[in-house]
Amino acid sequence: MPFNQKPQKFNAKINAVTIGSGDKTVTIGGENSFPFYTFDAPTENTAKIGVEISDLGLDEFSEGVKAYYEGATTMAEIAQKAAAIEGADFVALILDGGDPNGANKSIEELIEVVKEVAGAIDCPLVVEGCKNVEKDAELLPKVAEVLQGRNALLLSEKEENYKAIGAAAGLAYNQIVGAESAVDINLAKQLNVVTTQLGVDAKKIVMNIGSAAAGYGYEYVVSTMDRIKGAALGQSDNMLQMPIITPVSAETWAVKEATASEADMPEWGSADERGIDMEVMTAAADLAAGSDAVILRHPESVKTISKLIKALA
Amino acid sequence: MTLFDRVFGGNDAVYGLTEGAIDGAIAQYGEDKAVSFPNTAYSLPCYYAVTGTKVTTLKELKEALGVVKTLMTREKRLNDAFMSGVATALCAEFIEVLKYIDGATPYEEPCYGHLADAVIRELGVPLVTGDIPGVAVILGAAPTTEEGVALVKSYQAQGILVTLVGGIIDQVAEAGMKTGANVRVIPLGKDVTAVIHVVSVALRAALIFGNVKPGDAGTLMKYTMDRVPAFVNAFKPLDDVIVACGAGAIALGFPVVTNETENIFRVPKSLIVQEDVSKFNATSLEARDIKIKITNIDIPVAFASAFEGEIIRRKDMQVEFDGSRVDCAELVQTCDASEIEDHKITVVGPEVDDMELGSKNSIAYVVKVAGKNMQADFEPVIERKFHNYINCIEGVYHTGQRDMQRIRISIEAFNAGFKIKHIGEVLYASVKNEFDAVVDKCEVVIYTDPAECTRIRHEVAIPTFDKRDERLDTLTDESVDVYYSCILCQAFSPSHVCVVTPERLGLCGAVSWLDAKATHQLDPNGPCQIITKERPIDENLGSYEDVDEAVQKFSQGALEHVTLYSIMQDPMTSCGCFECICGIEPFSNGVVIANREYAGMTPLGMTFPEMASMTGGGVQTPGFMGHGKHFISSKKFMKAEGGIERIVWMPKELKEFVAERLNKTAQELYGIENFTDMIGDETVAEDPETLVAFLTEKGHPALGMDPMM
Repeated sequence: MPFNQKPQKFNAKINAVTIGSGDKTVTIGGENSFPFYTFDAPTENTAKIGVEISDLGLDEFSEGVKAYYEGATTMAEIAQKAAAIEGADFVALILDGGDPNGANKSIEELIEVVKEVAGAIDCPLVVEGCKNVEKDAELLPKVAEVLQGRNALLLSEKEENYKAIGAAAGLAYNQIVGAESAVDINLAKQLNVVTTQLGVDAKKIVMNIGSAAAGYGYEYVVSTMDRIKGAALGQSDNMLQMPIITPVSAETWAVKEATASEADMPEWGSADERGIDMEVMTAAADLAAGSDAVILRHPESVKTISKLIKALA
Repeated sequence: MTLFDRVFGGNDAVYGLTEGAIDGAIAQYGEDKAVSFPNTAYSLPCYYAVTGTKVTTLKELKEALGVVKTLMTREKRLNDAFMSGVATALCAEFIEVLKYIDGATPYEEPCYGHLADAVIRELGVPLVTGDIPGVAVILGAAPTTEEGVALVKSYQAQGILVTLVGGIIDQVAEAGMKTGANVRVIPLGKDVTAVIHVVSVALRAALIFGNVKPGDAGTLMKYTMDRVPAFVNAFKPLDDVIVACGAGAIALGFPVVTNETENIFRVPKSLIVQEDVSKFNATSLEARDIKIKITNIDIPVAFASAFEGEIIRRKDMQVEFDGSRVDCAELVQTCDASEIEDHKITVVGPEVDDMELGSKNSIAYVVKVAGKNMQADFEPVIERKFHNYINCIEGVYHTGQRDMQRIRISIEAFNAGFKIKHIGEVLYASVKNEFDAVVDKCEVVIYTDPAECTRIRHEVAIPTFDKRDERLDTLTDESVDVYYSCILCQAFSPSHVCVVTPERLGLCGAVSWLDAKATHQLDPNGPCQIITKERPIDENLGSYEDVDEAVQKFSQGALEHVTLYSIMQDPMTSCGCFECICGIEPFSNGVVIANREYAGMTPLGMTFPEMASMTGGGVQTPGFMGHGKHFISSKKFMKAEGGIERIVWMPKELKEFVAERLNKTAQELYGIENFTDMIGDETVAEDPETLVAFLTEKGHPALGMDPMM
């Protein structure tokens, strides 16, 4: 019996969201098929890769990452090198230093970093807060203000602070709102609903549905992404049709497979290699489950994932 | 003279002034002279927002005045008055913009005049988040400087943005009060036309934050009405011009509160006369429906969930209140808004200081609430939280509910200055914060006078409780119009959906139909959504097209059909939180129920965990079903298969827990007395043969029923 290919057709599609301004923009989403199901429908926009940099500089990064950035001393130089990585589509600046339980940098200090980075590169920019909901509620509106005209993606508004960040980024300063929830389809949807009720255009929202490193409760991430894409495409749920961005590096470089030193774990081999492996494995799984963009740290990971995306496109 | 005459008269006067001013400016500068406000991308923001036309020169301004004239219709209808009000406001904007010709700076410290777009973007965010809960526009001079300053300060303390126009500016300055955007008190200007600068803020907010298209006046006014929580306080004397401006404010949805009594016309919710200036604040907030978040509860001890589990022993106790010994009660009462003074806390009877160390006393607290969305059905839902609220007070302990509560106050809390009235503060703040979607106003009365407690308990509380119980008893699946979904557990059981009905509570036992209803009201986008029941398929099975559609939607397509009353055909799924599981027992044509606490074996040859492994995770396993304990005595319990008559075995502890209700249902449905005596338990049988022998001996009705499969 001959094989009859029957493409799975959906009447709905994921919103296409363009980040950045001027000549250099990236568009994520837009697909009406499951990830890499090119046999069902051609992929509208291939998945995109962002390179993570932090206001804390390079100190926390692995040796391999540091080696790549060698010679870069200012945030501007770091940002430029990040943007130059082969396969990188955008730069993701994480304002880790703002965390009140960490370096607790002032908002003014952090805004200076944002300005420096934004001034140094013209590629699309993603800015992540410090993850503390109160601090982010003050910080991210200021970031939105100084980035007027850049059409940047701000991560993240959460259930606790969606009003401040959603209103500032999505309404007052016309940026793109990153809506972050904790690996639960209903919470993801609810946040999109309340954000749009604020008046934010649904087409200016990107979701971060939560993430984990492979092996660390990761099945929840896969199942949530899977169900979100299923509901968005199969059930035409327009409150779940926002593209998904997943910050991978922040998770994978914090687990013991990546952090254990070679002195402690000689049998595990090179620490840098392990970190890259965790990052590549997790990112590949995220993309296969439904992420439209991932944020990575190591230049090697960026190169590898970029190759994967091109090969499967 | 009518209100129409005053509005039209004021409008005409302002129009005349505006025409004169524009003509004068044209004569002076020529009609090509540029006109604009500084630092805005919205031209003349009010005129632009209402008409969609940008005015750039005096010539265009003159043309715009012609457009304004068309709004000034003179029929004595409400709409004409509103439109004349809007026309008056636009004229004010024209007069104001003339002041800025040639880059002039007409306003000096402390007055702001026109506000830049950047200020609006900055203020807009806290307005959207509710950090600025409202915008007050104070117009004219207060009767005395003290009263004016007190009013401004009262708003400031609530985080409300205050804008000042006219005489109040001098009064505030005279008192040496700091003003400025950073302290949220913004003097605009001393001419009444300066009021347009705050209207300009509201309209630009609609354009920026509401994505309202300039020229779409209908949407614009709806936005300001729904989303810009502004109101006007106008001090007497009010001239026709101010009355006309007021009509404009009302057209945008901003109520006007005034102390003018001469020649004024009250319009409910819109034009309100309040002679007592000290009540302007409360009257305005109520009229504009502004709720102030309570961030700080004023009590001398800590209030946090960390203290919830704190136990106060007799030796550490200053006083106690004990409903099992003396008359006590706790009650929520829905009242009309006019009967309640918000945040009023009254103690009737002795305070803690007047009570003897270690004594047992009476207490009864009545929390009166009012709100547009309040329903009597929410009273017990709110009341049940009292336990949690009072327990969170450091050094105070609470158990029980209704008229059986028991409270202890520790010696330490007493020494820190804790009083009975502080219980009122805690109840007030907690109810207002947690139930802000339904409670607009709240007042607490605490009785410690024993005679009063007796009266409240027996004449007020118990009749209310009886009425509620009666309501619960009569609340049937047939008597309500809607059911509710609950998807609280989808985080770990992704395809499970509970359908909560009055006679079938959530399988966790924690979500009744009333709870689900309240949850929906409090959090409209939350886990409990309305399921209609308009298209029944089979009443006996409890299947509805509406229910099927809802479970399909909420399970993202994983479930297609669910029946409410059958365990054989499309039984309702379980997440895993079920209090009990019932499973089919083929030898007796019956079902066995096991509760989570039961550790032993059941006649099915399975323990509770083994049964749970077949039932949880959102899968439909015909013959097995998870449910709450209270569902066992429901008339709807597996009604499609014959109902509770099928129950043949339960653990003893569970049987005793449900006996009274179950026997009552069996009596009503089948006329069987003491039905639970016919039901086996682990002391009778843990295997099917012994069980069937027992059932035969008792003449259990299930044996004579049709096989279930």
